[in-house]
Amino acid sequence: MQVAELIEKELILIGATAIEDKLQEGVPNCIQTLSRAGIKIWVLTGDKIETAINIAYACNLLNNEMKQFIISSETDAIREVEERGDQTEIARFMKEEVKKQLKQFLDEAPQYFCSPSGPKLALVIDGKCLMYALEPSLRIMLLTLSLNCSSVVCCRVSPLQKAQVTSLVKKGARKITLSIGDGANDVSMIQAAHIGIGISGLEGMQAVMASDFAIAQFRFLEDLLLVHGRWSYIRLCKVVMYFFYKNLAFTLTQFWFTFGTGFSGQRFYDDWFQSLYNVIFTALPVVIVGLFDQDISSSLSKKYPELYKEGVRNMFFNRRIVAIWACFAVYQSLVFFYFVSLSSSTSRDSDGKMFGLWDVSTMAFTCVVVTVNLRLLMMCNSITRWHYISVGGSIIVWFVFIFVYSGIMTRFDRNDNMFWIIYVLMSTSYFYVTLLLVPVAALLGDFLYLGVQRWFFPYDYQIVQESHKDDADSINTPDSQETKEHLTPDEARSNAISQLPKEVSKHSGFAFDSPGYESFFATQFGKYVPPKAWDVARRASMKSKSKPK
Amino acid sequence: MDTNGATTSSAAGGGSTSKSSSKKHSRKPVYSRFTQQELPACKPILTPGLVIATFTIIGIIFIPLGLVSLSASEKVVEIVDRYDESCVPSNYSNDKLKFIQNPSINKSCVRTLTVPKLMKSPVFIYYQLDNYYQNHRRYVKSRSDKQLRSVSDEKSTSDCSPEDKTVDGPIVPCGLVAWSLFNDTYWFSVNSKTIEVNKHDIAWKSDKEHKFGSNVYPKNFQSGGLIGGAKLNSSVPLSKQEDLMVWMRTAALPTFRKLYGKIEQDLQANEKIQVVIQNNYNTYSFSGKKKLVLSTTSWIGGKNDFLGIAYIIVGGLCLFLAVCFILLYVIKPR
Repeated sequence: MQVAELIEKELILIGATAIEDKLQEGVPNCIQTLSRAGIKIWVLTGDKIETAINIAYACNLLNNEMKQFIISSETDAIREVEERGDQTEIARFMKEEVKKQLKQFLDEAPQYFCSPSGPKLALVIDGKCLMYALEPSLRIMLLTLSLNCSSVVCCRVSPLQKAQVTSLVKKGARKITLSIGDGANDVSMIQAAHIGIGISGLEGMQAVMASDFAIAQFRFLEDLLLVHGRWSYIRLCKVVMYFFYKNLAFTLTQFWFTFGTGFSGQRFYDDWFQSLYNVIFTALPVVIVGLFDQDISSSLSKKYPELYKEGVRNMFFNRRIVAIWACFAVYQSLVFFYFVSLSSSTSRDSDGKMFGLWDVSTMAFTCVVVTVNLRLLMMCNSITRWHYISVGGSIIVWFVFIFVYSGIMTRFDRNDNMFWIIYVLMSTSYFYVTLLLVPVAALLGDFLYLGVQRWFFPYDYQIVQESHKDDADSINTPDSQETKEHLTPDEARSNAISQLPKEVSKHSGFAFDSPGYESFFATQFGKYVPPKAWDVARRASMKSKSKPK
Repeated sequence: MDTNGATTSSAAGGGSTSKSSSKKHSRKPVYSRFTQQELPACKPILTPGLVIATFTIIGIIFIPLGLVSLSASEKVVEIVDRYDESCVPSNYSNDKLKFIQNPSINKSCVRTLTVPKLMKSPVFIYYQLDNYYQNHRRYVKSRSDKQLRSVSDEKSTSDCSPEDKTVDGPIVPCGLVAWSLFNDTYWFSVNSKTIEVNKHDIAWKSDKEHKFGSNVYPKNFQSGGLIGGAKLNSSVPLSKQEDLMVWMRTAALPTFRKLYGKIEQDLQANEKIQVVIQNNYNTYSFSGKKKLVLSTTSWIGGKNDFLGIAYIIVGGLCLFLAVCFILLYVIKPR
């Protein structure tokens, strides 16, 4: 270093070259939004420690306010042992070092953890140390420490280690893990995680081929998780709950009937009704809900990433929700059975004639189909015209079916077929009176519950819905994007400037290859720049005599 | 759920569009509002105002409907008279089974009914049976509708066993349902003048015209050892046997009534009607009850307060909830 300083003086600067390996557009924003959503983000890279730390700074994963724990294999002591060349001693020594550091950090961590306004924690660990830290004896400590940190940066990791770290979190912490990568070295990580995402791009398609989802740019991850992932969760919960509910309501009606048949097992409904219930009369609407239900629009989902936590905490499909739906199904089945059968105990026709078993059951089944479909409409957050078509269509299909089924008599009919039953029913005014009463009485409980829940115990997404309900439909049609091009050049420029990220941290430098440059040159100008952490480590390892402040 | 993820991504090989020749060959999938989840939707939000309005509307509609139904039901006059206990002579009161199964004992019994209010014609006569499980699975199964429809299917008696055939051939109509046909009869008179009972048009038209064939005659009916109920006149085709048709329409609950006939004259209030009952039907072996019912009807049918009361309760509950919510809204706004 000193010789270099003696030679390189009075040089004339001709120019400078730079190589920029830019981050993809939108990455820092995306990472920030995702961490607001409660998702912890770890970086596993094959780059060296300085590069990794700089990328982390650029992505807002690390900042100067965080307390950084660094476990590096390039400290003074380790280099000394490495120079001696004895492999077993190196291994033993490194393991001891790593163990010591992990323990030290683990003991330090709680004091930051306890104060809520205290600095966040970050862990930086490199590949060689990771090799020892992933051994069974140290693995638990590593896991505990890293789960307490808001971000973890692993550098110089090999593809195998990437997979090992992912499995560590997946199995050890039992959390849902998602890996995203774009190169062939990320394939094992992508496959090890619960969800693997490949970015299709310049590095080829290997990551894409191994992944569960493929996206084109990193920033689409935000859309994928916060918009579509969230909607998927909500839709899945609704579809599953609704399926159980409608079958429970339908089957329990028969159950109450068995009490009146001497427990002989006589069916309440005709065979065809039972078979086609799930196939035609109530199937399509729930599929439409599963495809199209949106609680809040996509732009609002990205604006409030904290809503993602509802899915993480499994708020829409837990025991309480299942119990509530089951109770309402029981209540509704009681309404269906008893309202219809008790009101049929005397003649329902002004001509004095009495209904038989199949008349009563057809009446009850009509009420079930109508109620169950209307209940679906009540639980939708957004109703498109497909919902109307499918719900109305299902009810109409039921009527068409029963008109045809009871209008035809063939040689192959079973005993006591349903001939002419619906026409008999519809010729009485009892049918219409009951068809108005029973669905309303059955849905009364659900309606009350939904109203009270939204009024007094609203979920977060419901609050967002209501505060934005007067917003114009912000749909990203091509039209709305074209309007942006109508801005004048000046306006466009000021728009662009206002959208630049605001500088928050004072981090200014990128790592130079040789340590100490920044602080060296700074002292030349009489300015004091504090040395960076990795700088100190590197410098110490180079055994340099001159230690600039 | 993979499809949801894929719609925003342009995974390799997405559909290509070339909207105009000036645009480059783009690999973006074809845009449609359906696949991009951007269908116009109405987003109903259940605000407190909507809840209160809905409850109020339901209350306002249902209470009058309930009152109308209830008043219709109240206008119906009904006389119910249980006679199976009192129609057993006193010397057989401990062994009713022996009484009912002995064909040589005279089974007629005289009852007196008092008309509470004016009953305008037509007055319908029903027999009501309690604890009679016409909806038992094996009972419901034991019939052959094919046989009832046409002569050519006389032999399809597979579901009817044991009441399917005798040594002389198949039983028409076969099965337990027909075999247990109700056979009590009632003769009405007031002031020693007989009242005509019209036993036509007591079955549903679809039964008479389609389900019971006009060329099917009873054969080998009730010819076995154990007689279950009424005998049928084998020269009358099934499509005219209205009692059989009414009985074969199996009831939904164990307590049911079936139409016996109609009286087509007015019955004045406080009239005393003499009924001569032939107490033939055996309900004693299973502790069933037999009742005779005379009833008028309204536009909504016989005397059943259930619908009217249900409407009123639901409507009343809705109004009550609406008032509660209004109070809550005023006292504790969101």
